[in-house]
Formats: sequence, structure tokens, C-alpha cells
Amino acid sequence: MLGLTLIKAVALAGSISLSGMASSTELVVVVHKDNPTETLTRSQLIDLYMGKYVAFPDGSKAQPLDIDNDEATKEQFYKALVGMPLNRVNAYWSRIKFSGRARPPVAQQDQQAVLSYIESTGSAIAYIHENNLTDNVKVVYRFDE
Amino acid sequence: MNKSGLLVRLAVVIGFASLAIGFLSTQLFYRITVNQEINIANQSIESLFKTVQATAATAAYLAEQDLAQEVVDGLTTNDVVRNVVMTFEGKTVRANEEPLRNPVTFPIASLFEPDRAIGEMQIAPNIDYIKTRAEQLAGENSKAMIMQAAVVTVVAIFVAFYLITRPMIMIARALHRTTPGDGSRLAVPDFHGNSELGVLVSDVNKLLDKTEAQFSQERQLREEIEALEKRFRMLFEKSISPIILMEPRGNILLYNSAFEETLEKLGKSFRKSFGPLLEDLFVEPEALASSVEMAFANDEIATGEFRLRSDKETESMWAQVIVTSIISDDMREYYQVTLHDISKRKRELDLLAYQADFDKLTKLHNRQGLEKHLHNLIDVNTPFTLVLMDLNWFKQVNDIYGHKSGDEILIFVADKIKKAIRPNDLAGRWGGDEFVLILKNADQTQTTQVVERLVRLISKPYYLRKFEQNVTIGASAGAASFPTDSSELQALLHLADQAMYQAKKVKDTSPEDFLRFAEPIDVEQDNA
Repeated sequence: MLGLTLIKAVALAGSISLSGMASSTELVVVVHKDNPTETLTRSQLIDLYMGKYVAFPDGSKAQPLDIDNDEATKEQFYKALVGMPLNRVNAYWSRIKFSGRARPPVAQQDQQAVLSYIESTGSAIAYIHENNLTDNVKVVYRFDE
Repeated sequence: MNKSGLLVRLAVVIGFASLAIGFLSTQLFYRITVNQEINIANQSIESLFKTVQATAATAAYLAEQDLAQEVVDGLTTNDVVRNVVMTFEGKTVRANEEPLRNPVTFPIASLFEPDRAIGEMQIAPNIDYIKTRAEQLAGENSKAMIMQAAVVTVVAIFVAFYLITRPMIMIARALHRTTPGDGSRLAVPDFHGNSELGVLVSDVNKLLDKTEAQFSQERQLREEIEALEKRFRMLFEKSISPIILMEPRGNILLYNSAFEETLEKLGKSFRKSFGPLLEDLFVEPEALASSVEMAFANDEIATGEFRLRSDKETESMWAQVIVTSIISDDMREYYQVTLHDISKRKRELDLLAYQADFDKLTKLHNRQGLEKHLHNLIDVNTPFTLVLMDLNWFKQVNDIYGHKSGDEILIFVADKIKKAIRPNDLAGRWGGDEFVLILKNADQTQTTQVVERLVRLISKPYYLRKFEQNVTIGASAGAASFPTDSSELQALLHLADQAMYQAKKVKDTSPEDFLRFAEPIDVEQDNA
């Protein structure tokens, strides 16, 4: 599993110039450290990110975050989460954009911006590289599990 | 054209067969087409579902009813879809209110987790549309089939006509025109040298050969029989002798023209029966009957000579009668009677007998005839008196006036004898100028009367025309009686001769004593 991820990271590093740093580490899904949610299932995570539910399992409002400038990470995340390339995920969102309640995740610049958004917003949820973990967030989902 | 002709029948059969096959195959094709169309519709429904799968999954995932409605409405715009119903998260979205018939159900999985079922979509096919299309297709197919059937019918009729019917009709017509015996034969139709029709024609020709041979054979045989029959008929018809086929009881079954001629001669008209053995035709039918009976008893052919009874005053007719008994195949008895006319022979024989027994000149019996009678009388023991008479002075007349005059005298004497004797008496010329009278059952008185009458008649002068001269003759007679004088002819003759001689001695001295009776026989003389 580790080896495979490495090969993927190397391939991505070649094609995407922007994120040369630390992209080879595992992605984790984090929330504010005070968020009552301790852990999420994959389905719960998908429902949050794909717009089905905008609340945590306990009923509190949830705000998923995307990282726009680090496409490699975003791609890695969606691939791991729903097995889709980004263009299909984007197509999904464009299909439902005008139809109703579902809203795509709020986009942030990078992982630092994500981390600061979570620190200031208790309902936020986001994906980051494991090596970027801080004490202010807690991991609710790991892809390697 | 003949309504029950081969070609019409063939056309009708092929036409009906084509129609039936066309109808059946159309039906079959229709069913197959409907099934195929339903399959096709199902396939297209499946592909329709695949087309909208992502959108449907999205709508179901997000429970977006508007989006789902758009999907199902979009699907129903397709011809093959009647109605679509989507269900997800307890919600139901349907395109219209039509009932769902034979729907195809597709599970809807989450776009992001293929294992996670989030709803289902039911698509009901538009069966009416599918059927209409199938019918259209089948109808087009039927038209094609009917066209094909028509073409096949025409081709089959054409082929059948040129290959089978026309040659057969030609053969049939030729056969119809053929009369066995005229030598004509059927022609083998073109291109049929080795076909069944060719074989048929050659067989028919062989049959004609045989029939013709048989015909000519029969004709020949018939001609032979006819010729034979003609000859038989000729033999029968032209036979001089009457031939009669009759039943034993007398019914005449068959007779020839000679029999008719014979009947005519007898003055009789034809009758169906003249009695058994034609007894009405014979003078002595009993004699014929007994003769036939005797012959048949000895298993012989009956034959005899019998006199025919004539109703005309003609010469007597005699026939040799031959009666044959014939037993037919059905065991019935017939008599074949043949009559040979022997009248002429009989007359000739009679004439001969007459000539033998009569004197040509005087037409009286001659010596032989007289002797026959005398023997007969003696045989049957009839008493009679024999008178022997000799003319006197005849020799002188003969000498003076010649033989012819003598013959005249003899004829004259014979006439007088015929007048003088009694009806049952017999007279004849014994020879020269000697005559004999046979007076049956006459005593001396009766004898004397007859002789006196006679002598008186012949003693009258006779006028010789040629010489214009009267001549007178006389006669001396001697008599002897049977059986009183003798029972033997020679003795009687001798006695009469002697008595006459006694009378002769006194012819000049006592001419009235012209008759002497025989002296009783001297026993000694008789012995000597």
C-alpha cells in the first residue's frame, strides 16, 4: 500500500510543478479539536463532501473545505474517497449546481489556509497531509485504515 | 378451359398451398417479430437506462425530485417507453399515471459507492407501440410473402404446364383420336424421351400394337366363322332335301326352304307343328312311328320310305325319311328329320313294275303280272276261277289285213274284256291271241255269265277303217277253279287249257258252246 502510494506520488510530482513538497504522505480528514465528532465512516465522509448531507452525524452543521491551489492533493483526496478523477467530480458538481440545495465544499488556497479555517470555524472539516497535522485539529478519518 | 382439367386443378392447388403457407408463415413471422421487437425494446430500454444512469443516480443520491422528474419525463419521450417510475429514500417519482406493465427494473447504485443501493428505476415498455411496429413489419413481410407466393405459383404453373400438363394433354388428345386398328401411334413429347411420360407413351404404343394384333386376329377369326356359317347356312338353305329340326313332341324349331317347297307341293301351309314325326304329312304315320321307334331302340338312325299325304290331286309323293335323335349340350332331345324326295324314283320303279307286269299293246296285265296275281291269290287262299280264252279266226284277219289290223283287233278285245269283267276281277293277255280272266269267288254260273257277256261283245263285227271292211272274230274259253279243281297254278292252267281245247274243237260245229269247264282230274292221269 505504501509502495503504491509512492509510485503515484512520483508520477504526480512529475506532472504537477506546484506541489513538490510533502505530497507523498497520507491524507487525513480533520476537524476542529473541539468538534464532538470523533470518527466518520467513509460513507459519512462521502455524503459530506458530495453534498448529500451538510451535517455531522450528531446533527451539527458541517462545512467541508477544498484545497484549490494544490490540485495534486485534491485529486489524491477525491481519488481515494470516491475513486473519481477531478474532472468527473467537477462534472458532478456542475450537473447539480442549479438544481437545488447541495453546495460544493468551500475552496481554500492551501493546507495552511485550511488549517486556519478549521481553527476559527468549529463546523469545518477538511483533508490535509498527515505531516501537516497540528494540535488544533483532530483526525476523524484515515485513508489507510 | 376444362374446369376439372389438370392445369386448373394444379393452379388451384398451388395457389391455395401458397396462400396457406403464406398465411401461416405470416402468422409465425408476426409472433417472431413481436418477440424480437420486445427484445429490441428491452435492449433499448437498457441502453436508455445506461444513458440516464448517472443523472438518475445523482438525483437519487441527492434525493433531488426535480432532477429525477426530469429524468423520467425525458425517458418517456422515447417511443418504446410507456412509463417510468423512480424510487429512492422513500420517494417515488413517476412520469405519468399509466399503470406499469411488464416493467424492467434497474437498481440505482450510488455514484461513489457502487455497492451502495440508493433506489431503483422501473421502465415500462410501450407494448402497443412495439406491437404496432411488429405488425407493420409483419404486414410488409406478408406482402412480400404473397408476392413471392404469386411468383412461385405462376412459375410452378408455367413449369407444370410446359413440362407435364401440355405433353400429357397432347398425349391424351392423340390417344383420344386413336382408333385401335388404324395403325396410328402416339408421338413421344419433346424432351420426354426418358421421362415417365415417354415411358407411358411407349407403353401405350405397345398396348396399341398388341390390341391391333388381337383385333386383326379376331377379325380374321370372325371372317372365318362367318364364311363357315355362310357355308353351313348355304348347305342347309340350298339343300334340295327338306331338313327339319324339331322337338320330339312335334314343334318345329328350324326348317329350310326345301321343306317349304315340299309343303307347297303337298298343298299344305306351314304350321308350327305337324304332330310327332310330322305324322300329318304321311299316309301311314303308324308305319313311320314304329320304324323310328324300332331304330331308336337299337340306337340307330331311323330311315325308311314313306308316302306323303297330299291335299292336291297330283302324282303321289314319296320320301325317304331319315330321323336322327340329337341330344344338345343342355341334355334336351331334338329330332333332325331329313326328307329325300324319291317320288321320281318311285314312279320309275312303278313304271318298271308296270312295264314288267302289263302288256304294252292292250294295257292289260301280261303273263308275268297275271302269274304274280295268281300266286298271291293262291297264297292268301282266295277262291277264284281261271278262264283261259283264245280268239277264233284271228289268224285269218292277221294274215289278210296285216299285223296292224291284228293289233287293232287285240285292243278291241281288251276293251271288251274291261267292260265285261266285274270290278274285282282281273284280266290279262297270256300271249298271242290268248287272254286270261281271273274271276274272284265266282261259281260256274257267274263265270258263264261273264264269259257269255264277253264273247257276245267280241263276236260283233268290227269295222276296219283302213280297209273299210267289217271283220268278225270269236273266242273259245276253258275254265278251272281254285281250289276246287286244283290248288296248284300249273295244274289249273293245264286244266283250263284242256277245257279250252275241247271248246275249240266244236267252234265251227257248235259256236254257242264256247266255254268248257275243266273235267274232274283223273287220279291216274294226275299221278302220271
